[in-house]
Amino acid sequence: MAHRIGRTFGIVAAGVCLVAAAAGAADLRTVIKELFAVPSTTGNEDMLAAKIRGLLPKGAVIEVDPLGSIAVRLAGTPGPTLVLGCLDGYGHIVSGFTPEGYLTLDRPVAPPHARFDAYLLGQPVVISTAKGPVQGVISQPALHLLTQERRRTLVEGFSLENAYVDLGVRSEKEARAKGIEMLDAVTYPAVLTELAGDQWAGPGLGLKAAAAALVAVTGTLSGRTAREETVIAWAAQTKFMARGRGARPAIGAVRARTKWQPKRTIIVEAISAGKGDGFPFPGGGPVLVQAKDEPSELRSALEAAAAAAGAPLQFLTRPDSPMAAPFADRSADVVTLALPVRFLNTPSEIIAVKDLQALQDILQRFLQPGGGK
Amino acid sequence: MNRRLFTVLLALIASVSPAGAQSKAWDLLREILLVPGVSGHEGPVSYFIQGRLPAGLKAERDAMNNVWFTVGSGRPHILFVAHSDELGWVVDKITPEGRVRVKQGGGILPQTVEARPVIIHTGKGDVPGIVSPRPGYDDRPSEVETQEAPFTATAFDIYLGVTSEAEARALGVAEGDPLTAKKTITDLGPGLMATRAVDDRAGCAALLDAALRLRPETVKGKTVTFAWDVQEEVGLFGASALAKTLAPDYVFAIDTFVSTDSPLESKRFAYLPVGKGAVLRAIDSSNVTPKTEILKVLAIARKRAIPVQIGNSRGGNDGSVFLAGGAVDIPLSWPGSYAHSLIEKIDRRDLEALTNLILAIVSDWE
Repeated sequence: MAHRIGRTFGIVAAGVCLVAAAAGAADLRTVIKELFAVPSTTGNEDMLAAKIRGLLPKGAVIEVDPLGSIAVRLAGTPGPTLVLGCLDGYGHIVSGFTPEGYLTLDRPVAPPHARFDAYLLGQPVVISTAKGPVQGVISQPALHLLTQERRRTLVEGFSLENAYVDLGVRSEKEARAKGIEMLDAVTYPAVLTELAGDQWAGPGLGLKAAAAALVAVTGTLSGRTAREETVIAWAAQTKFMARGRGARPAIGAVRARTKWQPKRTIIVEAISAGKGDGFPFPGGGPVLVQAKDEPSELRSALEAAAAAAGAPLQFLTRPDSPMAAPFADRSADVVTLALPVRFLNTPSEIIAVKDLQALQDILQRFLQPGGGK
Repeated sequence: MNRRLFTVLLALIASVSPAGAQSKAWDLLREILLVPGVSGHEGPVSYFIQGRLPAGLKAERDAMNNVWFTVGSGRPHILFVAHSDELGWVVDKITPEGRVRVKQGGGILPQTVEARPVIIHTGKGDVPGIVSPRPGYDDRPSEVETQEAPFTATAFDIYLGVTSEAEARALGVAEGDPLTAKKTITDLGPGLMATRAVDDRAGCAALLDAALRLRPETVKGKTVTFAWDVQEEVGLFGASALAKTLAPDYVFAIDTFVSTDSPLESKRFAYLPVGKGAVLRAIDSSNVTPKTEILKVLAIARKRAIPVQIGNSRGGNDGSVFLAGGAVDIPLSWPGSYAHSLIEKIDRRDLEALTNLILAIVSDWE
């Protein structure tokens, strides 16, 4: 993997844009917090989709996909450009009830890394039921009673095999009476931690923050003519990979391509950052990701938009992600604009609010008539 | 029954009972468990306790932050003691990159705070941080299985959102500051919750509630001391200090009963269900309660219809340091699942049974 670091500053426009960014910052923060509070895992995206729909401008025509993806269309010259974010994050689902009233767990998709399930040990969780949220905790062995053998098997070797959700009930009947059904989403409580340097931490925050940027962009541009006809979409089932040999594209992205037939695509997602204090840097601006480090019209336009917005950009070359893969046959016309996230896919994903603001500013500038020139 | 007769009866009951108002132990617990008090840093929580005690009780405090009061006179001398310290860590150093390292210890499974928020309690106020996940947490496992280094407190690398030592210090963080896991209360149902620091803030709340309901003038023919001691989790140091000045005949240590009421534990022992009443810890790692005393407690509880369970488990208690001085240690508890975790579980009925049992013993113990 090769990378190149670049920072683009539109010196003339910077002052104006910083004022504009500051004015819009409060709204973006509010949107992040609103989305952050809503659980959303693959196959259980409906609540987040509903929340986003509620935050979109009144009168916006919402396009939907039967899997749960939603989109709004901005008018412009024939296109469309697709700006594609995600609705779903990694999480767990209810897979069964024990006679004693505990829940067993499974995942709707493969975990993002080998330690993902181990974070559940001894943590509070929320089960999203049709009747509303239900609180529970993941059982853990009492420290006083741990022998070396139990430490090895139940702590070091913790997995979904020994993950039980304790709801404080004594029977399956009582558990079901709380409204819990098989396949209900199980996630960590949405507890936000605000760190120094205007950095925020929380479970699933990278996904929600990126989705919030698209909501904010839509709010600003809705009802106006864009540089080109644009579909801004939040795709469901982006963590579920299509079966078959070779590349395993995200189902949500495959369907987005089929449905909206874009001429060019900007993928908006989270990217792991700050590992070992290395590249890309949280706080260094959004990361422009391409499979090949080569110039393209879309890339140039985004760089120009960043310059005009006075927003920093980082650059990374790496193989196409499952989100970008469905569009890879026209690689010059797909770019990923990623939000750098520290501790990605842990219960404390950390974002720098200024990175998110920069992401919004770049997209906003790019989509305006004449944007990216 | 006419209203006048009812009023007279109520007054009569109040005059012979050591207990006054209804229990507020549950509300006190929800409040006190959020007050920081890592072992050796119990100032805030001990001030909280002392501030809530009725002024007439003449509470004392020593340099360690032990707090206590005594009512009545004569023998026997009964001591109730709960520890106010909680599990947590202490800042060891700040790296040039602004990361915080902590000293060994903590008493909580380190894995359960990996990639989780913590709060550093500094002289300038609370500073949040995130315990970094272990390096390479999201790397693909290697083909050849290698032994992973254990994740311990000394491996903690706490990220504050800054990139230099100077910035970390500007936030107020300094060596020796205590830190705790960020606490959230999980309400599993009405009167049932799971959270950090139930051990032993539930004991503190039960004792405080009993103190608030106590009618000191009704304590006759005995001396009763209520104490909230410090540094239990790191070696019973607060209790040891109290044992130099107090010489009780009976000590009722109020602390967690480590219950196996969970899906992961063997039910071979310590299976006392949550929600089925207060607990008498007949045997633990520090004490064996004489059966004669167990029977006395049960008789008192039975007389007042207070549900009490008897069990044996592990863990020590503060009362054990008074054994050498001649006291009998009779630990009282509630059944606590998931001891020393972020999700210590407690049932309101158990807590209120415990506080009622304390008051009943104050009244009836001979």
